[in-house]
Amino acid sequence: MSFHYGQGYPGGGNLPPGSPYGGGHGAYRPPPSAQYGGAGQTGAPYGGYGAPGHGGQYGPGPGGAPSGPYGGYGGQPHGGQPHGGHYGHHAPAGNLPPGVNPEAYQWFLTVDTDRSGFINLKELKQALVNSNWSAFNDETCLMMLNMFDKTRSGRIDVFGFSALWDYMQRWRALFQQYDRDRSGSISGTELHQALAQMGYNLSPQFSETLVQRFTFRGGRPGIQLDRFIQVCTQLQSMTQVFRERDTGMTGNVRLNYEDFLSGAITRLM
Amino acid sequence: MAYHSPYRAPPQINAPPDQGFLWNIFQRVDKDRSGVISDSELQQALSNGTWTPFNPVTVRSVISMFDRENKGGVNFNEFAGVWKYITDWQNIFRTYDRDNSGFIDRNELKQALTGFGYRLSDQFYSTLIEKFDRQRKGQVAFDDFIQCCIVLQRLTDVFRRYDTDQDGWIQVSYEQYLSMVFNIV
Repeated sequence: MSFHYGQGYPGGGNLPPGSPYGGGHGAYRPPPSAQYGGAGQTGAPYGGYGAPGHGGQYGPGPGGAPSGPYGGYGGQPHGGQPHGGHYGHHAPAGNLPPGVNPEAYQWFLTVDTDRSGFINLKELKQALVNSNWSAFNDETCLMMLNMFDKTRSGRIDVFGFSALWDYMQRWRALFQQYDRDRSGSISGTELHQALAQMGYNLSPQFSETLVQRFTFRGGRPGIQLDRFIQVCTQLQSMTQVFRERDTGMTGNVRLNYEDFLSGAITRLM
Repeated sequence: MAYHSPYRAPPQINAPPDQGFLWNIFQRVDKDRSGVISDSELQQALSNGTWTPFNPVTVRSVISMFDRENKGGVNFNEFAGVWKYITDWQNIFRTYDRDNSGFIDRNELKQALTGFGYRLSDQFYSTLIEKFDRQRKGQVAFDDFIQCCIVLQRLTDVFRRYDTDQDGWIQVSYEQYLSMVFNIV
């Protein structure tokens, strides 16, 4: 028997190494709750949650948003083209492997400079650019690499890369659609509209906070494609976790410590 | 403040290395001489003791902890913190990896986390092993162990902030939940 009653989280004992910001949150400290629902805000603290005129309690998930490859990769058709079971098959240069997006194939050959037949994180970064020509950030590259790297080897072959490419291109089309003022980045307002159209019922403040968190220091508030993909993919995944626990569809859940941990950890990408 | 982090005091196992020593290391790791160590530079410099590349997710977590300007890397001053952080974890890991295999098994992981004060069920340890055993050996390597502990710390920290009566239960709305877990995982 190992689960002593109580919160279960550390209070004493040997402490693991601490990070410099005290809480161990790195750059992405979740917003303090005071930011939501503070004085000066009107109405309920959580924006349009369940408000009239809105559909479901929370996002019905991806309304037209690209879905990830979970469980599908390698077996079922993705983007209309079957992948086949080509894992480990090394494609000869200049010869488009079956089911591989030609554009993705060209990029793959360009960045796979050692001709290993695989690309790693560093090489992937060279293939993915935002509309302002900045390279994709490491988190998003890692997240996508992990999504399409079913062998957990830290690298993907041309079939995995092609699926990743299609995934990115579908998000890119949405990004351009929601970048209404054609500024090349998505503002807080634009993100809110995008999420609402995807079916999420979230407050405008939620989108604002996300955009602020990901805006480059000193830059105009807005997020590039890489952060847009990261935000939307995480939202899909975390909404799924919440939904599984909100069996009564009330929009509220009661969670114990360990259930909270496992819900988040099993969805780690 | 009641919910101050329990992790404020890292163990003082090593005497701080002197600046000349660190500067030497920094210069060797900073291969492109940019003055900033990037993810891939740090990843190449780190070893998990098993001849496989150091977990890039761990590298990203550690760099983002110390990279104050969001520049995607660490400068020399910040690198001192990274160095200490990694060596502290190394010392902890060694005390549990008694046969020096580079891996700790489920039991040792449990001992380590129990030592940190976590009280978790056996089933939860299965979840942890499943998620953090990148090499599929039923054991956890050094780099994955660090990442496991970082994620647990972050989630615990945010849970604690909502568990104001400290009974191990929270009630949260959809948007609160998203704010809690966003970017930890």
